[in-house]
Amino acid sequence: MARLELHQLSKHFGSTVAVREVSLDVGNGEFVVLLGPSGCGKTTTLRMIAGFVAPTGGTVRLAGQDVTALPPWKRNAGMVFQSYALFPHLTVEQNVAFGLEMRKVPTAEIAPRVAEALRLVRLGGLGERLPRQLSGGQQQRVALARALVIRPDVLLLDEPLSNLDAKLRETVRVEIRELQRQLDITTVMVTHDQEEALIMADRLVVMSDGAVRQVGTQRDLYERPADRFVAGFVGRSNLLTGRVVAPGRFQTAGGLTIACAGGAPGPSVIALRPERLAMGPAAAGLDNRLPGTVEIVSYLGASIDVHIRVSTADRVVVSQPNRADGRVPSEGDKIDVGWAASAAVVFADDAAATSA
Amino acid sequence: MSASATAESLTSLAARESRGGRRSAAAALVGPATIFVTIGLLLPIIILFRYSLNKFVPGRFMVDALTVENYILFFTDPYFLAAFYRTLRVAAVVTVICIVLAFPLAYKLARMESRYKNLLIMLVVLPLFVGNAVRAAGWMTLFGNKGFLNVTLEWLGLISEPIRIMYTEWAVIIGITAVNLPYVVLTLQSVIEGIDRAVEEAAYSLGANPWTMARRVLWPLALPGFAAGAIFCFILTMNAYATPVLLGGPQFVMMGPLVYVQFAVKNNWPFGAAVSFVLMSATLILTAAANIMVQRRYRG
Repeated sequence: MARLELHQLSKHFGSTVAVREVSLDVGNGEFVVLLGPSGCGKTTTLRMIAGFVAPTGGTVRLAGQDVTALPPWKRNAGMVFQSYALFPHLTVEQNVAFGLEMRKVPTAEIAPRVAEALRLVRLGGLGERLPRQLSGGQQQRVALARALVIRPDVLLLDEPLSNLDAKLRETVRVEIRELQRQLDITTVMVTHDQEEALIMADRLVVMSDGAVRQVGTQRDLYERPADRFVAGFVGRSNLLTGRVVAPGRFQTAGGLTIACAGGAPGPSVIALRPERLAMGPAAAGLDNRLPGTVEIVSYLGASIDVHIRVSTADRVVVSQPNRADGRVPSEGDKIDVGWAASAAVVFADDAAATSA
Repeated sequence: MSASATAESLTSLAARESRGGRRSAAAALVGPATIFVTIGLLLPIIILFRYSLNKFVPGRFMVDALTVENYILFFTDPYFLAAFYRTLRVAAVVTVICIVLAFPLAYKLARMESRYKNLLIMLVVLPLFVGNAVRAAGWMTLFGNKGFLNVTLEWLGLISEPIRIMYTEWAVIIGITAVNLPYVVLTLQSVIEGIDRAVEEAAYSLGANPWTMARRVLWPLALPGFAAGAIFCFILTMNAYATPVLLGGPQFVMMGPLVYVQFAVKNNWPFGAAVSFVLMSATLILTAAANIMVQRRYRG
C-alpha cells in the first residue's frame, strides 16, 4: 500500500510514440482505471509501472522510491495478467506460494499466508488442484490471490475480466472492488470496457493516441468531458458540429441556431447526453426547442432511444426511461426536441481547426 | 403423427448414413499411410530379424537356421563392441552440445517479435538444403592437414605443425552437430513459443530474477520439448552414416557404416541384420527410458 507517481512517462518505439508524457498520481489505497481504445498506450503504461517495458523518458515512483531503473523483480508490484499467466506445472498453492518463496519468507509462515490468500478469494479447499483443472473464473481468482499474497505496494490489473463470460464479469468486478477496498491497496487497472471502468474506479484516466485526455471521477468525465474524444468515449453523446457565432450562440452545420453556455467563437462541437434531451410536451419552455421528425425508435428494455431528425444535416438521439405510462412516439411522427442551454458542453473543433 | 415421425426417422437415417460415409472417408484417408508403414517398414523389420537368426557360410551366402550366434559374436568381439560404445558416446556428446548451443538461439527466435523472424528461421533451416555428404566434404576442406583452418593458423604463426582434426572423433562430433543443430533449434523454438510469455513476466513480477525464472518456470515447462529435441538428435546421431564415413575415415567405425559394410562389402547378411537390430534396439530402449524419466519427473 503506497503512493504511485508517474512523471512525464513516455515510450517511443522507433518513430512511433506509444505513450506521451503521462503524469499521474495514484493515492494510497486508490483504485485508478486507465481507459481507452486498443492502441491508446494504456497497456504500455501499465507495463512500464510493472517494469516490463523501459520508458524512453520520465520516472516511476513507488512508495516514495524512484523505481524507473529497477527490473520487475526488484519492484514490489503484484500483477494480474489478461491470460492469468498461472504456472501450469504448479498447483494452486504452489502458484500462490511462489512470490513468498522468492521473498525468502520463512517456510513456516508461507502455508498460513497462502491459505489466507486463498480464503480471501474464496478458493479454500482447491489448493491441491492444477490450474487446468479450474474454471476460468477460478483461475482468475488464483491469479488475484497470487498477486495479493506478496502484499504489493501496488496491484496492477491488465484487462483482468476480459476472458470471463458476461454474467461472471458482473459479479467478479464487484468482488475485486470489495477486496481492493477491504485491503486498502493502491490499484491500477487497464481496460477498454467503460462500464467496467465506471463501476470499479475511484478515478479514471482516459487515454487516446498515447496521451492522457482527461483524469477525473466518473461524474467529471460524464458531466464535464474535456474534449470531443472523452465525450464520445465515456457514455454516449450527440455531437453536433458547427461554429460558435457569438457568445452563447451556436450554429449547426445544418443551419440551426442553438443557445449554449460558453464557448469561444470559431469551429466548435456541441455534445449532448441523450438522456438530457426532452421531447414532445416535456420540451416546452426549455432554452432550445426544435421541431423534428422521428426516424428510428429502438426499444432497449430499461430505456427507449428515439432518433429525431432536426435538420437535413443534424440528427439527435433522445433516450427516454421506459415507464408504464410513457407514450412512445412512432417512426414518422412530428415531434419537438428540447434541452437546457446548460446541458450542452461546447468544445473547440480541433479536427476542423487543424484541417482549416 | 405419422408424417412427422417419418420425417424424423428419415433425418436420423440420413444422419446415420452421412456418419457412416464420414467413417469410410476417414478410413480411405488413413489407409494408404497404414499400408505403406506395414509393407514399407514393419515387414522389412520382421524379415531382417529373421535373417539375423540365420547362419552365414562363406561361399554359400545365407543358410537358414535359428541361432543367436550373430548376436553372441557382436557382444564378444572387442572390435564390434568398440564401434557400439563409440556410437553411443558420440550420440551422447553431440546431443548435449546441440541442446546447449540450440537453447539460446531457439529462445531468442521464439521470443522475437521482429518482421525478420521468418527470415532468420529460414537461415536456420538453410543448411538442411545441402546434403550431409556435401557438407561433410565442406568440413574436409576446412579440417584437412592442408585445409583452411590449419593453413590460416600456420600463416598466423600460431602453430608450426598442422593440428590433426580430420579422421578423429572430434571431427565427427563437430560434423554431426552441424547437421543436427537446425533440427534441435526448430524443435526447441516451437516448444518455447508454446509457453505463454506472460508466465515469465508473472515470475518476474513475483520477485524471480531471470536465472530463478528459467530454473523454476521455463525449464520445467520446456522439459518435454527438450526431451523431444534431445531424443531426435540422439536417434539421428546413432544412425548417422555419411558424416562418420567422410570425417571419421576407415578407422573410425560407427554402427551405421558397420551395417553397410556387413551387407554390401562382406555380403554377410545375417550378421548385418544382427548389427541393425542391436542398433535399433539400443536406440529404442534409450529413447523409451528418456521418455519415462521425463514423464516421472513431470508428475512428481
